[in-house]
Amino acid sequence: MNDALLSLVTPLVAALIVLTGPAMTPRRASVVVLLGSALSFVAALLALQSVTTSGATQTLNLGGWEDGLAIRLRLSPLSALLLAFTALIHLLAGLYARFSRFTSGDDFWVLSAFLHTALAALWLSADLFNLYITLELIGLAAVAMVALSGPKAYQAAADYLLLSLAASMIYLLGVVFLYSEYHTLDVIQLGTVSADSARTRLALALITAGLMLKGALWPLHLWLPAAHAGAPAAVSALLSAVVVKGPLFILWLAWTEVAPADLAREVGPMVATAGMIALVAGGWAAMRSPYIKVLVAYSTVAQLGYALMALGLLMSWQIPQMHIALWLFVIAHGLAKASLFMAAGEMQGTLGTRRLTGLRGATQTVPIAMFAFAVAGGSLIGLPPSGGFLAKWVLLEPILSQPQNWPWAFGILLGTLVSAAYIFRVVVLAFDRATINPPDTRPYLMGHWLALLPALIVWGMALLGEQLIGLLAGGGV
Amino acid sequence: MTVELLPDLVLCVLLLVVAWSALFASTRRDAMALFVAFGMIVALVWARLGAPDLALAEAAIGAGLTGVLLLRAARKLPVSSARRFDYRRHLGALTFIVVAVSGFAVSIILPSPADITANNFDSPVAAAMPDSGVSHPVTAVLLNFRAWDTFLELLVLLFAITGLRQLFPIEKESLEPARTWQLLVSWTRTLVPLLLLVGAYLLWRGSSGPGGAFQAGALLAAGCVMLRITGMLPPLHWSLFAVRGSVCAGTLLFLCTAVLTHSLGAGWLDYPEAHAGTLILMIETLATLSIAIILTLLVAGERKDLCS
Amino acid sequence: MSSLAANSIILYLLVAVALVMLGLYGLLVLKDPIRRLIAINIMGSGTFLTMIAFARRQDPPDPILHALVVTGLVVAISATAFALRLILAARESREAAASGSTETEDE
Repeated sequence: MNDALLSLVTPLVAALIVLTGPAMTPRRASVVVLLGSALSFVAALLALQSVTTSGATQTLNLGGWEDGLAIRLRLSPLSALLLAFTALIHLLAGLYARFSRFTSGDDFWVLSAFLHTALAALWLSADLFNLYITLELIGLAAVAMVALSGPKAYQAAADYLLLSLAASMIYLLGVVFLYSEYHTLDVIQLGTVSADSARTRLALALITAGLMLKGALWPLHLWLPAAHAGAPAAVSALLSAVVVKGPLFILWLAWTEVAPADLAREVGPMVATAGMIALVAGGWAAMRSPYIKVLVAYSTVAQLGYALMALGLLMSWQIPQMHIALWLFVIAHGLAKASLFMAAGEMQGTLGTRRLTGLRGATQTVPIAMFAFAVAGGSLIGLPPSGGFLAKWVLLEPILSQPQNWPWAFGILLGTLVSAAYIFRVVVLAFDRATINPPDTRPYLMGHWLALLPALIVWGMALLGEQLIGLLAGGGV
Repeated sequence: MTVELLPDLVLCVLLLVVAWSALFASTRRDAMALFVAFGMIVALVWARLGAPDLALAEAAIGAGLTGVLLLRAARKLPVSSARRFDYRRHLGALTFIVVAVSGFAVSIILPSPADITANNFDSPVAAAMPDSGVSHPVTAVLLNFRAWDTFLELLVLLFAITGLRQLFPIEKESLEPARTWQLLVSWTRTLVPLLLLVGAYLLWRGSSGPGGAFQAGALLAAGCVMLRITGMLPPLHWSLFAVRGSVCAGTLLFLCTAVLTHSLGAGWLDYPEAHAGTLILMIETLATLSIAIILTLLVAGERKDLCS
Repeated sequence: MSSLAANSIILYLLVAVALVMLGLYGLLVLKDPIRRLIAINIMGSGTFLTMIAFARRQDPPDPILHALVVTGLVVAISATAFALRLILAARESREAAASGSTETEDE
């Protein structure tokens, strides 16, 4: 637990140093925040090691009060993994923001450290009201980061903020109904006492609706493309890679721990169907988008469909493979998407166009960024041996073993085809060397290489596949 | 139906009617003014429901800060033309609400009305009160039992102010009170000392009765906003260490307490019992300072406050 | 102070649900961002009213719920203030863009 708390505190300390420190230039701020992320990453790895070697989930009652009165923090293999993942993404996005040519605004550093803190607090919390505050923190930090790209993004930021506030109110109302019935906010306690009643159903419906709106899960995803496409590249990477995963984590907590198992079994197929539709509808929208970053943003909607589907099937079948598949998807998608957004930002900046057609001949003009895009896209499609393939393999195995589950496999196949279509659409344009769109400026290679880094890590995930699966194999938390 | 229910009924009808008219008022300005009125009625309802802490907070926010916030916004917006009365919208809202409320009543309340209102639970708060360091239960929950929530709440304020700082990228003077209304100035002179006094009292009182850091902070902020608007308070330049320091003070002390209790004491935010009361008062004082400054900046901060 | 009659609590719960629904409806049909912000705040008041009505089941009222509402109020005011400033800034930038484009057209 010590290491987990350290991983939570370091980014906050970095942010406070940047805020209050004297003569804090953006360059110094970047050093402080990057150091914070790096330390936090190391601490998260130590926490991961301690929780896997001890083999048991650790809990901490804050303030030393008894269960039910105190807010409880919990360190499970999953939350340790997510801590490490968040720190890694922040480190990668921070390195990109520091060394690429396109600045992300001076306050990027403070805000990204704030966001990191809020996410870490979310992964560790096991208290529904505390989770509400972390959701609000993440929402505020994310909106402020969207606003970093200047006045043209304010409208998207304002819409995002309004929806995010409404969503957390709906979530909070659900939490209140749960508390009114069970007199506790503690996830672990709720899991032992919750029963299938009308009030519990209402509460879970409200919680689910609020979180799906927050997490841009289909059909409540309409705000996402404008917000994610409008932000600076490093920010888009953070938003798509980690921010939307926060609500997903709480949704997973609500349905696997808080909800009575029978109710979860009943609702599971609906969630999985929503995921399947998200996969196809998001992919279709991505395929038709004329802008590079909007394509990548819609692909987030589609990819979240896989996670939603894994969650739905986990709820209805309650088998640990789905749990593994869900979180492998989250991690693989996060890394791949970070790479895609950074590569898209680099290509967009170098080629001086936001349009997809501007990518003609990109394999010649911006080869490294284009390579990063293709490599990361390969993981989204699920080409072996990438992280995306690993996740899809774990998801497909139990589905294919039972003939009555084959409709789900069909959905996954359709989703794969659609994602292959929008990735290849970009790649084909990039290979069109007959009518090259000449770059505005000489490509600045450092940014391109940094965009490639997360994509390489996601392909490297396959090497760690066995460990990752073993880590998550505990099933629940 | 008993006579006892009558005041509640009146309040409820008032609440709904004002909320309704705030939402569908014909001009935007009316909507804003009615929303401020709504805040006052909400404060009354909280008082009626035995929540004086919240009534105070709501009055300071709903009637005070939100009022100033909305009126300042109204000044920047063009006067919108009055909207035609659209009966479909009202009818739609009415249907929506009637269906939802009756659905709620039929499915949740009617099956077991006694179950909803039953008082079948002993709160663990009462038993833990003696060890909490304060005697007011709400303060004990906020600063001891659920101190982590309050810590994150201070972060919410900090995030919001950092977010606001992003909104002044263009080098341009925002409209400022070129002419200060004389009446406002003299009222400010009278009211602000009173607000400061009441704020300080609420902070001190918080450990034993209704009141506490947030209510005090909100009141102080209301005073500072008045001073700032009338120009009696100089701009709170972000570049001043004092400003940034007080913005972060509450968070910093909380964080230090957490880290120190963790490394030297019994555990994360586990106050040593003998000093719990003092620690809580210290945290509350700095939290009040942070809350007051941040709320002032959130409501009245301009470019010259936040980006210089 | 005795605990409130059960009927009153139910009355306040119903009104709370009505407020939340009113706010939700406003959020769905209104276009003006400031009115939508007001709608969200009305939703918030409904949620807080639910909490306080539930707190009143006990005598004295449940301090945990009251503390949660205090926290919720702080979150709500900070978010509302930030949202309002953001809406105004968005509006300003839109107007600046519009006047900028007409000026270039004039030239």
